[in-house]
Amino acid sequence: MRALKERLLAFLFPAETDGWLALLRIGLGLQLVCYALSLGIDWNYLFAGTGQGLISRDLAEALLSLQSSFVPRLGWFVRLAAHFGVGEGKILFATWIVLLVAGCGLIAGFFSRSSAAVAWLVHLCAAMSGGFVTYGADNFMTIGLFYLMLSPLPDRYTLDRQWRKRPAAHPIDPQWLGFWRRVLQLHLCLIYFFGGLTKALGTGWWNGDNIWRALIRPPFNLIPPEALVTWKYLFPLLGISAWLIEICYPLFIWNNRTRKMWLICTIAMHIGIGAAMGMYLFSLVMIVLNVAAFGPGIAFARNIQPMPAAGCPSADSTAAELI
Amino acid sequence: MPLAQPLPSSNPLRQAVGTYLRLAGIETGYGFFAPNVPGEYKLVFELHFRDGHVEHELPRVNSSAGELRVAGLLDQLGRTEYEPLRMLIIKMLVHAVWREHPEATLIRAVFGQARLPTATEFEKGKRESYEFMYAYDFTLKGGQPEPLNP
Repeated sequence: MRALKERLLAFLFPAETDGWLALLRIGLGLQLVCYALSLGIDWNYLFAGTGQGLISRDLAEALLSLQSSFVPRLGWFVRLAAHFGVGEGKILFATWIVLLVAGCGLIAGFFSRSSAAVAWLVHLCAAMSGGFVTYGADNFMTIGLFYLMLSPLPDRYTLDRQWRKRPAAHPIDPQWLGFWRRVLQLHLCLIYFFGGLTKALGTGWWNGDNIWRALIRPPFNLIPPEALVTWKYLFPLLGISAWLIEICYPLFIWNNRTRKMWLICTIAMHIGIGAAMGMYLFSLVMIVLNVAAFGPGIAFARNIQPMPAAGCPSADSTAAELI
Repeated sequence: MPLAQPLPSSNPLRQAVGTYLRLAGIETGYGFFAPNVPGEYKLVFELHFRDGHVEHELPRVNSSAGELRVAGLLDQLGRTEYEPLRMLIIKMLVHAVWREHPEATLIRAVFGQARLPTATEFEKGKRESYEFMYAYDFTLKGGQPEPLNP
């Protein structure tokens, strides 16, 4: 029992360097900047209250309150600003600016933790208030920013570290770094496993019909169907590959010998989704999460240490982790 | 079923669990496009004017990122079985169109789902067709669209 407990603790708290955290921070910062810029022109229209935009933010927030009254939302800022005579349009624009600045702060590593916390809060508010106009990319941004905010920032590549010269007496606990990376890894495994499982239940993912449907369905129909149909014999293979990559992710991503191949397959799948369906934000956030969770230790490694035990992941943290 | 869901909505445990799941982004299902890819939903607004002419409009945004979100909204609308909520959402979308065309006297919102052909059917010349699902007529009363056929 004691040995089991020790193995569990060793699994949950492996010693790590902060390479993965730097990748997550920079990647999510880039994601946030792309998110803000891509929605800039529609921002106020999508998140305005009743009678001002496409659909009422108030309705989404009312439905949200049925589940919990404590989940942050843009309405809080709007109401607070109204006390000071600031209109809804201005405060919504301000939240957009804050997101953009927080994204730049994350990329540069300037006020890293504050940037991460602000980015998480404001993006969460937008995702919750825009409940009707959110999709997968928003969910994964929330997940990534939540873990980033809780992780022990700043990492060594941040401007914070370069400028403030944090004293060596307060180094980041490598096991704390390892714990948050492990949480992200486990969360990704759950996501892919259940995503793959539900896909495997649909016949369209076996005969390739769902690949065809996904690619000809507006607004994802970037490739003309006339060109696409010439590749129809490939669709069953692609459909089966999609759910197979997802469902087997927890199995092969932990194994030292298959990790690199599975990571490449997963990233290739997301690049394909982004390029063929125009879901650039979704693809980018998935690639960022994957690379941060499982990349360091293989992608840029000169030397990988063997796993501590068969079937159990290594700490992925060697001195030669990053070139 | 989401955690603590059987409890009343005012229950502190349900509120706490619900809050945490939302904050961490855990509450969402991860079965995107699963088990099958749904057909495309389409919402068309038929704008009727006093002089008798009719124009057609779609829910419009200005960016391709916004278009993706509108497609998601229509998917949600297609999945919404609670009729009053569905009508409320459509009413809001109608209001957005009406602000662009204040001279319209009646707006009919027609919601339908596309039947997508298979690759083999497409090769044989079959193209997507739309299946009517429901329609609502709205007139403007006191600055708000009101349904004629609630």
